[in-house]
Amino acid sequence: MDNETTVPAAEDRTTIAKHNIEKALYQETQDIRAGRLKDENPLDKSADFRLLCDAARRGDLRLAQEQITKGVNTNARDEYDYTPLILASLCGHFELVQMLLEQGAKCERDTFQGERCLYNALNDRIRNLLLSYDYSKSTDPLQPLAGHITSLLTRDAPQTADIILHTADTSFRLHKFVLSARSPYFRRKLQEKPETKSWKLAPLIPTESFECCIRYLYFGDAFIRTLDREDEERSVLEGVDRLSRQLEVPQVFETLLNPGDRRQARQRRQDDVENGRDQLAAWFRGRVLQRKFVIDTDEVSQVTWTRDNPSFADVLLQADVDDESTPPEQESGIPIGPSLDMASRYAKPRKTLFPAHRAMLLRSELFSTMFASSFREGHIAPQTIDWAGRPAPNADDANEALQVVPVDCTAAVLEVILTFLYTENVSFPLSIALDVLHAADMLFIDKLKQRAALLISTLGNGTSSVVESELSRPGSQTPEEQSKEWIYEVIRSGWDCRVHRLEEFGARYLAYRLESYIGEPEFREIVRESAGRITRREETDTVELVDDIRYYLSERLRLRFEDAGLEELMEGHNVRDTREHEEAEDSELDKTTGETNDVNILADAHMNNISGEGQVVRTLDGEIAGDEFAQDAVNYQILLAKIDGLLEELRLDA
Amino acid sequence: MASLAGRGPRAKIRPPRRGLANNDIDFNDTWGVLEKAFLEIHTKNASALSFEELYRNAYKIVLKKKGDELYKRVADFEERWLAENVHKRVVNLLTPPLMMLDSTSGRSLTTTAEKKDSGEKFLRELRGAWEDHQVCMSMLTDVLMYMDRVYCQDSRQPSIFAKSMGLFRDQILRKPARTEMPILLDILTRIILDQIRMDRDGETIQTHLIKANISMLEGLYDSDQEVEDEKLYLTAFETEFLATSADFYRTEGERMLRESDAGTYCTHAKRRIDEEGDRCRSTLSESTAPKIQRVVEDELIRHKMKGLIEMDSGVEYMVDNDKLQELGFVFDLEARVDVKKTELTRAIQKIVMEMGANITNAAVAASATSAAPGTTEEQAEDKAKTGAAKVNQVTVAALKWSEDILALKDRFDNIWRQAFQSDQMLQIALNRSMADTINSFSRSSEYISLFIDDNMKKGIRNKTDAEVDSTLEKAIILLRYLQDKDLFETYYKKHLCKRLLLNKSQSISVEKQMISKMKIELGNSFTLKLEAMFKDMTLSEELTNGYKSYVNKLGDADRTRVDLGINVLTSMTWPLEAFRGGATADEDQGNLQIIFPASIDRVKTGFTRFYNEKHSGRKLTWQTNMGDADIKATFAKAGKDGKPRTHDINCSTYAMLILLLFNDLPAGASLAFEEIQAATNIPPSDLARNLQSLAVAPKTRFLVKEPMSREINPGDRFSYNENFKSQFVKIKVGVVSAGNKVEGDRERKETEKKNNDSRGYVIEACVVRIMKQRKVLAHTALLNETITQLSAQFKPDVNMIKKKIESLIEREYLERVDEAAVPSYRYLA
Repeated sequence: MDNETTVPAAEDRTTIAKHNIEKALYQETQDIRAGRLKDENPLDKSADFRLLCDAARRGDLRLAQEQITKGVNTNARDEYDYTPLILASLCGHFELVQMLLEQGAKCERDTFQGERCLYNALNDRIRNLLLSYDYSKSTDPLQPLAGHITSLLTRDAPQTADIILHTADTSFRLHKFVLSARSPYFRRKLQEKPETKSWKLAPLIPTESFECCIRYLYFGDAFIRTLDREDEERSVLEGVDRLSRQLEVPQVFETLLNPGDRRQARQRRQDDVENGRDQLAAWFRGRVLQRKFVIDTDEVSQVTWTRDNPSFADVLLQADVDDESTPPEQESGIPIGPSLDMASRYAKPRKTLFPAHRAMLLRSELFSTMFASSFREGHIAPQTIDWAGRPAPNADDANEALQVVPVDCTAAVLEVILTFLYTENVSFPLSIALDVLHAADMLFIDKLKQRAALLISTLGNGTSSVVESELSRPGSQTPEEQSKEWIYEVIRSGWDCRVHRLEEFGARYLAYRLESYIGEPEFREIVRESAGRITRREETDTVELVDDIRYYLSERLRLRFEDAGLEELMEGHNVRDTREHEEAEDSELDKTTGETNDVNILADAHMNNISGEGQVVRTLDGEIAGDEFAQDAVNYQILLAKIDGLLEELRLDA
Repeated sequence: MASLAGRGPRAKIRPPRRGLANNDIDFNDTWGVLEKAFLEIHTKNASALSFEELYRNAYKIVLKKKGDELYKRVADFEERWLAENVHKRVVNLLTPPLMMLDSTSGRSLTTTAEKKDSGEKFLRELRGAWEDHQVCMSMLTDVLMYMDRVYCQDSRQPSIFAKSMGLFRDQILRKPARTEMPILLDILTRIILDQIRMDRDGETIQTHLIKANISMLEGLYDSDQEVEDEKLYLTAFETEFLATSADFYRTEGERMLRESDAGTYCTHAKRRIDEEGDRCRSTLSESTAPKIQRVVEDELIRHKMKGLIEMDSGVEYMVDNDKLQELGFVFDLEARVDVKKTELTRAIQKIVMEMGANITNAAVAASATSAAPGTTEEQAEDKAKTGAAKVNQVTVAALKWSEDILALKDRFDNIWRQAFQSDQMLQIALNRSMADTINSFSRSSEYISLFIDDNMKKGIRNKTDAEVDSTLEKAIILLRYLQDKDLFETYYKKHLCKRLLLNKSQSISVEKQMISKMKIELGNSFTLKLEAMFKDMTLSEELTNGYKSYVNKLGDADRTRVDLGINVLTSMTWPLEAFRGGATADEDQGNLQIIFPASIDRVKTGFTRFYNEKHSGRKLTWQTNMGDADIKATFAKAGKDGKPRTHDINCSTYAMLILLLFNDLPAGASLAFEEIQAATNIPPSDLARNLQSLAVAPKTRFLVKEPMSREINPGDRFSYNENFKSQFVKIKVGVVSAGNKVEGDRERKETEKKNNDSRGYVIEACVVRIMKQRKVLAHTALLNETITQLSAQFKPDVNMIKKKIESLIEREYLERVDEAAVPSYRYLA
């Protein structure tokens, strides 16, 4: 599909000559041995990693996702120097390659492993995919977070700063929580006096040095402008040195002194950002998550947190207590807001309150709009600080209670969301995945939405779970053991939240188990819904879900007899024919009657199929058993016929 | 957090908390909440509202697939609000003075101040309404964010913000103010135009009010599709504005042309254009600036340029009075509308041609005053002196002509640089008209050559190298314009020849410099012959020296031996006829063997021998008429006290021969004119001229003529002047007409005839060259080709080319191609 666009791009990159690669590889090994460079593909002999590699070889999405969720390094290598990405691209598992890339696997040109990965790619489609994720073009997974925090330094509206630092000639509007999280010095000082609103810096330190340190603390690049005069530059450097010691962030000065080459600088920067993220995450766990508290709904209005709270929070987020004991039917569907009459329907409605920082919440588009609006939430009267750093003129405002902003989800989900916003970390149990998906949709956090969808679509199923094998594997706990309806919820959620991946996933899931679903009224209902969606869009008159199911059905069943055909019908033109789309399939089968034995069998099956329409499938299977392929062909025809029947029925209904 | 993840890979997927199947939110209740809040927003009472609550309500409605209904309700709400509240408020401010605007005669009743005042009120109110609407709608948009993102995108509806902007347009601007009245949009346009008119008339207006309203129009579109070039501003306002402005400036331009002078007009037009640009920035839209400026340019410049240039105080006046600045204005104006500056170019060309013609006429007139008596040769000879003076006068006229032409060029170059920004189009035009001016004067070739001659002889005396260079450059400039370069070459050769042979040139290096400049300008072939002349001069010098040492080696130190300085000239290169004076035709015998006295003849034969030894097979022809001689003459009573005194006399060779005759004569004897002629064989006219110098000119009267008269007539007798006295040791005998002067008519015809002859050859050669290459060529093509090839040398006359082709056919170089569709020729090898 995107061959046209990406292939030329691929062509104009010249392939690197072999001896150059070898030289680069040698250089790299030397560097790593000398400690100049970090090994980007460390050797990993753990069992989990081997599982990931196996999954990559087989294209098992679920297994792979499980290992990744466990925290296996996607960029590690096995004892044969294979990385999962190389394996997956070598074995031609497009979706798995995509999944790995989405979750941080690197394919970087100009590195040995990267070139190897590209070279090994089974087909152009995968190669182009790899190129499109080229590290130099794609961003560091932590970049959005780092970028956001850096942007806080220059962001004017909505105002989120709560402390002002004065240097000799400039003032900086900063955030206590960032300072406290990143600098041990500030953490101590602010712990002593959380109400501090301004801070004077030793006048001897140049503003430039301070700016550099602040930029570093805010996840930016530590650099200083090249100055005209050498002595100025030296004094700035000295200032940075002193500050980095005072603030206990020695890395600033180190980074400044050893820029290194491009790759080293990037690795260092990555380390810095990662390190910063860990600091922020730790702080977040200690000051935000641990300080959440549960109170009765009635008492929410009595909560009076001031700005001087030890979490430096400037807003409280309110979520419902996720009480597993409450039957979900009762809980669902009711919007639980601050209005009392709704909440009072329950025996003991309780809420969880999280202290939070607007500065971080801004990463959600909804919150960003909310805090910038002129509604109540937009008033950040408490402790707005003006340029000079004086407290707001109205002294009472400074002590005003923090606003409580309800978020319509459970505490667990809110925790996931906050964790993502503060740390870019997304991992949560499958059980709340749909809730996270909806909440992320509501809050316009696109990345979280995509990750939730990814989680559902990979963990919920894998390509390896073909019907027979699943049935024949009594020990496996498949999602099917719970009520079957969840898959419909997934599809509906996919529609509601406009995540196409979930629709596809649902269709595939259904296709692989169609015989157990096709008779159900819920199935009929969802097909009807899908049809309804389409008429509203006024597109073609196909039903998208059914099309998808048909496609995956052919993938499931036809793959098998196609392989068989390859072996046995070597000389026949049937090979070519059977490879064509399934529309041509029926007529093709008719035509080939009498050519070879195998074809005869196929034809027989076909005949049987026609004659046996409406009867129970499995008995037919039994009769022809002995030839798996023929069985698949029959099953395929039968299922297709059933779908057609269903559609006809629905159309009659409509 | 990580602890929550991935515990048990087979974790269950739970359905989301809110079963979507449940329909227990009541649309009307939820909408009620929203509607109430919207009302608060519109009454600017929103600060207490909770964004979260409103968003959540809207979100749920959309999630319940009621997005379409919500959308419709919001639109209805807005529509009602605009129609019922806002419209009324705005219309209330439409006071009678404003309503009068549409009637054309409406300005009578109300004063400008009143009109302005109420207009501003209206604009202010409308701006207020618009701004309120925008603020409210952006708040609504915030709250309805989810609906915009999900419902509007799915069902391809415009966003609610865009929709409400459309509602504002329909409910406010497109509603009639009151029944039977134009819609508000038209009224608004009219009010703004009225305000702008006041602004143009010099009143101060509230530009920010207009700007606000204009940006409202810019923010609104003609349809809900929001096509970029269908902004209301463009569809409703701009065209109207441009049309009104065109009217305004048309009348203003006409008035200005009638009432003020060109300079003022230019500054005014410039100011107006700038003003409109500023207005677009401060009051209207930036995007209109080019359009309105074009309108102003059209009305004030493009349509008026001709009138402006032809005004009494127009371009001609400006040039005459050196109004460089104002010319600059005119240029600027025209340059705005026309890259070619057609009108200005035409006007300037006309002026240049006129002024050039004046100069030419003056020159003709100056020469005519003298030429009139000089037309008949006899008369001129009657009064040789006055005639000579008049010839001089013509020369002066020629010099003046050159100077004037140069001054003209300088003047326009100056204008071109200072006022026309060194514009290329105008430069071309100026060059063309200069060339036309120069070439329309038939004697320009000669005059330019004379100009150079004069400078070579006198002009460059006491000048620095730079000045000399600029003088030469000037000459080259003139030359560049000249078309008949071959004619010029002829003249230049002639003049150069005289300068060289008579040692009149100030500096040979400057001469060479000039030649190299010409070489650059006109090419190698042009200067080939001129350079050959210089070469001859150098060779001759060597020869002279060689001869001297040769003679010395012979050893007979004969004191009476005559020294010989010789110039051997290649006969083809040198225009020797230049020395033959006027009467070449009479003097076919001109090269009759001049009879030399023995002493001279010895030298002559000696040299001839010497030369032939060096270059065998060459024939030396002695051009005695061009030589000069240094003689030591002793006069008996020349000293102060009557003692004999020796003078060094420099005179022409002929004069020397004549004087030598008297050496042998006994005292008191005399020779008749005829006797002298017989003894020397000097052509009579030359003889007469030389005798005139020797016997008539007071300073060099070595001979006494009988009878004493000014004219030399056959039969006159000459004798040695014993009483000659002079205080100078060295005496130079001038020969009449030795310098370069303007040719007489006869000479000129001669030159032209010769020139035409040589042109004929050049044309023939050219035609043959072309035909040799092409073999067959159509007549017109051949003509064109010939003209192009020759244009570097001169502009060939078509008739002459035709004649030459005829003659080539006769001589069987070419033949006519009979079967050709167009007349063609074929080359016969």
